[in-house]
Amino acid sequence: MTPAEIEALLDGPATALAAAVNAGAVPASELVERALERAARERERLGAFLALTPETARRQARDVARRVAAGEVLPLAGVPLAVKDNINVAGEPSTAGSRILAGFVSPDDATCVARLVAAGCVVVGKANCDEFGMGSSNENSAYGPVRNPWDLSRVPGGSSGGSAAAVASSAAALAIGTDTGGSVRQPAALCGLVGWKPTYGRVSRYGLIAYASSLDQAGALARSVRDAAVAFSVMAGGDERDSTSLSSRVPDVLTGLEVGCEGKRIGVLVEAGAEAGGLHEDVKASFEAAARLFSAKGATVVPISVPRVPLAIPVYYLVATAEASANLARFDGVRYGARVDAPELSSLYRKTRSQGFGAEVKRRILLGTFALSSGYMDAWYGRSMKVRALLSRDFAAAFREVDAILCPTSPEPAFRLGEKTGDPLSMYLADVFTVPASLAGLPAISVPAGFSKEGLPIGMQLIGPHDEEPLLFSLARVLEAGTHASERRPPAP
Amino acid sequence: MRIDASLVAHVARLAALEVTPGEAAELSGELTRIVEHFEALQGLPDDLLAEPGTAFATPLRADVARAARPAVLETNAPESAHGHFVVPRVVSRGE
Repeated sequence: MTPAEIEALLDGPATALAAAVNAGAVPASELVERALERAARERERLGAFLALTPETARRQARDVARRVAAGEVLPLAGVPLAVKDNINVAGEPSTAGSRILAGFVSPDDATCVARLVAAGCVVVGKANCDEFGMGSSNENSAYGPVRNPWDLSRVPGGSSGGSAAAVASSAAALAIGTDTGGSVRQPAALCGLVGWKPTYGRVSRYGLIAYASSLDQAGALARSVRDAAVAFSVMAGGDERDSTSLSSRVPDVLTGLEVGCEGKRIGVLVEAGAEAGGLHEDVKASFEAAARLFSAKGATVVPISVPRVPLAIPVYYLVATAEASANLARFDGVRYGARVDAPELSSLYRKTRSQGFGAEVKRRILLGTFALSSGYMDAWYGRSMKVRALLSRDFAAAFREVDAILCPTSPEPAFRLGEKTGDPLSMYLADVFTVPASLAGLPAISVPAGFSKEGLPIGMQLIGPHDEEPLLFSLARVLEAGTHASERRPPAP
Repeated sequence: MRIDASLVAHVARLAALEVTPGEAAELSGELTRIVEHFEALQGLPDDLLAEPGTAFATPLRADVARAARPAVLETNAPESAHGHFVVPRVVSRGE
């Protein structure tokens, strides 16, 4: 295979790359060197990586070569993988984008990483992210922002912004991220990628640095629906090290990937059209075009209301921050990460936390501590949990009418770096369409569906009932084949 | 509701965070604006709000002690000795 052919392989689908490695057409050792060069370039240009992992990558590539030579066929043989920096890779740093975890080295692989590596993936680097997954623009990383490869003056979305930038720029063929309130789906939408979060519990959380445990899920970002579906089939499954993981049979998302949407009922989310801040006009146009496409391909498209969607932002930002205030109590300068020395233990805790956490993390810890504090807990955290239950019942009622719900992933395309950093609330409101599925534990997928007049990617989201990932991936495939939006790539560096 | 600077300072103490008076004033404005937006939750009629059901029950596992991995402690602890984490003295002689 010529150098140009190898570069083309790295630009193409992960599944095609794996097929070439399995067929012996290109050695994994050669691919990994080219992929590491790309990752180094995009670390510099986009800020996509916090660390490269060449030794781990080369060792994994040697294992792939050995297994392929022995006749094994691996679904992701030799596929360069970017891992968000709040997910552990054995022997490599995990900072979660925070100064407070500077110097931390992961003792073992997250379960989802171990499964992807067993399927042939090669980890090329730890991807930049908003600190502890808290952000919608990747501007909250202690190590600098990430730039969107479609327009370097714009954000890639967050919090898995480095993962998205890495795949969109073809520095990696696949990336994993965590999605607590949309942190995989929204950056996927803003960078022209497919990104999914599973049914809560379908992918193990073992090895993820916790933000909000009742919401955190690992998901994947890819350049095609098929690549994303293969990643799901590899990552999903029960794990005794995560008591919330589901031990039931993993739904098969590959067999029915091309079945189309004929006979399916798709609900167009009424509340999306009535979005208080207003949908960006190009997002609205793509939303309407996606509904027409499903209709033309044989689905029944009807309006559907999930009445409590407008309350999902307050519920999310109270529940998630309350859980964060408890989860992040462990960072105190004693067991791991950075320490600010002080003569007394209590001031060591306070100084370490005050200097180690960034502004947004502190803001969320304070908001969550307030929501749980004596005198306020019933009115804020308690009420949020009741509305969360009501939102779940809304979804259950909607899914008696339709098979899946269609809405934009983000109300607007990628915004400019610095545009929202002075106004935390306006940043929170950007999550309006992604947090509802998170709160209800539902699977959801973002798919490229068009472009703005300025040439920025626009993503549409499909939300399904629990365990309906096969339906979501097949509907995503209809959108991908019908819009051709995944075929356009960002400008070359 | 208003989250004033003294409430910010109280919550910061609970969260083991230091905030200067200037930071408390700034956070007061930001958190008040956020919480005022969230007051939409208070407008829902109570009869709509059933108690959170079993949907949010977390499956529990047995709390089994596992052997510590000394290498993990040595690699990641800011200060350790003899297989323990080292912190400033919390008890003095004579106490």
